[in-house]
Amino acid sequence: MSFDAILHTLVTWTPYLAEGFVWNILVSLVSMIVGTVIGGGLALLRLSPRRILVRFSLGVTEVCRNIPTFVFLFYLAYIIPVEIVYDGGVFSFPAWLKAALALSVAVVGFVSDNLSVALREWRAGHVMSALLFIPNWTSYLLIIIMASSTASVIGVGEIVSRCNTVIAAVGNNDLMLWIYLYAMLWFFLFSFPLTVLMNTIKARMQKRAV
Amino acid sequence: MRTTLWPQAFRIRVTRALALLTVILSALAAPAHADRLDLIQKRGSLIVGVKSDYPPFGMLDADGKLVGFEADLAHDIAEKMGLALDLRSVTSANRLQKLEDGAVDLIVATLGDTQQRRQIATLIEPNYYASGVNILTRKDSGITQWSDLRGRKVCATQGALYNKAMAQRYLLDLQVFNGTRDTKLALRDGRCVGYMYDDTSIANDLLQPEWQDYGMPLASAMISPWAIAIARAEKGGRLETMLGNIVADWHRSGRLIALEAKAKLPPSDFLAKANTLWNAKEVDGQPVCQRLPSGAWPVQCRNKALLSSTDVGGLYGLSLMIREKTGFNITLLHDHYDQRLFLTGLLTTLEMVLVCIVGSVAIGFAGAALMRVRNPVVRGLTVTIATFARMTPPLLQIYVVFFGIGSYVVTRYGWSFDGFVVAAAALSLYAGASNAFSIATALKLAAPTHGGNPRHYRTEVFRLAYVPVMAASVNVVKATGMASTIAVPELIYASTGILAEQGNADVMINLLMLVYFLIVLAVVRLFSLAERRIMGSAVPVGSDGAIEAEGQKS
Repeated sequence: MSFDAILHTLVTWTPYLAEGFVWNILVSLVSMIVGTVIGGGLALLRLSPRRILVRFSLGVTEVCRNIPTFVFLFYLAYIIPVEIVYDGGVFSFPAWLKAALALSVAVVGFVSDNLSVALREWRAGHVMSALLFIPNWTSYLLIIIMASSTASVIGVGEIVSRCNTVIAAVGNNDLMLWIYLYAMLWFFLFSFPLTVLMNTIKARMQKRAV
Repeated sequence: MRTTLWPQAFRIRVTRALALLTVILSALAAPAHADRLDLIQKRGSLIVGVKSDYPPFGMLDADGKLVGFEADLAHDIAEKMGLALDLRSVTSANRLQKLEDGAVDLIVATLGDTQQRRQIATLIEPNYYASGVNILTRKDSGITQWSDLRGRKVCATQGALYNKAMAQRYLLDLQVFNGTRDTKLALRDGRCVGYMYDDTSIANDLLQPEWQDYGMPLASAMISPWAIAIARAEKGGRLETMLGNIVADWHRSGRLIALEAKAKLPPSDFLAKANTLWNAKEVDGQPVCQRLPSGAWPVQCRNKALLSSTDVGGLYGLSLMIREKTGFNITLLHDHYDQRLFLTGLLTTLEMVLVCIVGSVAIGFAGAALMRVRNPVVRGLTVTIATFARMTPPLLQIYVVFFGIGSYVVTRYGWSFDGFVVAAAALSLYAGASNAFSIATALKLAAPTHGGNPRHYRTEVFRLAYVPVMAASVNVVKATGMASTIAVPELIYASTGILAEQGNADVMINLLMLVYFLIVLAVVRLFSLAERRIMGSAVPVGSDGAIEAEGQKS
C-alpha cells in the first residue's frame, strides 16, 4: 500500500474515528463524575470525628484502589444484564455505561485520597494547596481517557474498536499498523498539551502556596 | 432342641406371600404390555421415523423416497436386527407423539438429548451425533475464534434457543431478524459480520453455490448431542440395550464418520472424539466403554450434561449436587480440562506479573540513566519515547506491536510474534516510562543530600522513588489482563473460555474477580514488606502514597 493510499484512507475515515474519540471522552467524563461524587463522600467521611466512619471509608477506598479495572470491566459486562425489567418497563444498560462504571472505581480511590488531603489543607486555611486538587483531577482524567480505550473489549464503539471496524472494512492488513498509530496520535495530541498546561498551573500554584 | 418362634406352616405361607408380592410388584414396575421387540420381530419389519425437511439428515429424493444421514442410520439398524425397514416421515412437532402412540418403533430425527425429553421418551445412550451453534461468515472475515466476535454485530434468527445464551457468553451485539431468509439477506447486505445458527443447517447452506465465498470458521459452541428415541415404556427393556449396543458399535467402527462424509457434512468434532473414546482401552486391555453390571455405560462414556448427582460420587457428585441445589455450576471442582485451563491461566498471569514488575523497574532505571547522560540527542530521544509511551493507551501499544508490526513481519519474514512477549514488553514499557521519570527525579533530588556517603545516597533515592515506582507496579499488575486481548492464555482468557463453554458466568466471573483482587493485594503487601526490609522503617504504605504517585504521573 503506497503512502498516498494510506494517507487517503486515514483521511477518509477520520470523521468516523473522531466520533469514536468523542465516546472515549464521554465515557471518561461520566466515570470521573460518578467517581468524584462517591469518592468525595468517602473523603468527607475520612475527616469525620467518628472512628468507625473513618475506618469504613478507608476500607472502601482500599478496595477501590486494588480492584483491577480491566477485570472489573469484564465483571460488569457479564454480571449486569443487557436489559433490566423494572416496574413494567424495560431499561437497557448500554455497554458504554458499564465501561464508565468500571473505570469510576479507580476514580473513587483517587478522589477519596486526594480530596481528603485537599479538604484538610482547606480547613487549615491553605487555600492554594487545597486548590491543587483541580490540576490533579484533570491529570487523572487524562489517565482515565487512556484507560477508556479498554472499553473496546466489551464492544463500546470508541476509537480503538472503530479502528478494528475500519481494518475489517478496508480489508488490508498492512493498514493495521498505520491506523493504530493514528489512533495513538489522537490520544497523544489530546493529552500532551493538557498535561503541559496542568503542570504549568500546578507549578505556579505550588509556588504561591509556599 | 429349640423350637422356633413361628410354626413351620406359617413361615411357608409368609414366604409364598412374599414371592407373590414380588411378582406383582415387578409386573407393575414393567407395565403389563408385550415387549416391543417381540412385536417388531413378529411383524418382521422395523418402523423408523425420520425427518423429511432437514437436509442432509432427512429429506425426500426425486422419487419421493426418504433419504439422508438419518435414513442411512435407520437402514443400518434394520440390517443389524435382520428386519425389513419401513421409513416414516416425522416432524419436530409430532415425533415424540408418534413414539408414544406406537405409530413408529423408534425415531432417528435430529432429536436433541435433554433432561426434559428423557422424562417423556427413552433416549438411547450413547448419542449418535451432535449439533452446535456456529456462524456463517465471509471466508476473508479474519474471524477464527468466538472471542473475535465480542461486541461485533452478529445476525441471528428470532426464537433460536441459544441466542440469549450466546449473546451473554460472548458479549455479541445481536441483530435479530424474523426468519432465516431475512437473516441471510441481512448478512448478504453486510449488516453484520456473521449469521449465527445451527451448524448442521449452515453446513447445508455451504453446499449451495450462492454461499461459496462464505465459511464456518469456528468450533461449534453449545454442543447439543442427538439421541435415537423409543417409547417411554421401553425404558430398561431389551430394545434399549440392543439399540445402545448398535450405536456404540457405530462409534467404534467409524461407521458414523463414514456416513457423515457420505452426506457431505463437514467432519464433526463430536464424532471424532466419540470414535477415540469408544476405542480407548484401560491399562489391562479392557475397553473403557463397556456396560457395567447394572447395564449402564460408565460415567466417562455418557453425556456429561445430563448426569445427576446420583450417577456419580466424590467431588464430581458434590459439584453436581451443588448445581442441583443452588444453580451454581462449579465445574472447576471436577472438570480436569477446566482445572488445567484455569491453572495455566493463573500461572501465566503470575508469570506476567513478575516479568512486568521486573521489566518496568529495569526500564525505569535504564531510562533514568539515559536521561542523565551528557549527549543531548540520547537524552532528548529518551524523554520523547518515555513521554509518548506514557501518553498513549497501553492497549493500543500492544495492538501496534502485535497486529501492526506483527503483520508486517509475518508477511515479509514469516516470523510471528509471541503474544506473551509482546504484552509483557508493551506493559513494561508503559510502566517503565513513568518509572524512568520518577527515578530520574529521585536521583536529581537526592544528589545534594548524600554528602559523599554512597549508602546514604542509595537509601535517599530509594525513599524518594519508592512510592511512585510501587504505584506504577501495582498499576501494571492490574493491567496484565490486557494480554487476553491478544489471546495470551492468562486468567481472563481462561475464565471467559470456561464460562463460554459451561455457561456459568456467575461462578467464573466472580472467581476471576476474587483471584485478581487477591493478586493485586499480595503485590501491595509484598511491596510494603520489601520497603520495611530495606528502609528498616515502618512507613505506612497504601493510604495516600499510591495516589500521590498517580498525581505525579501527570
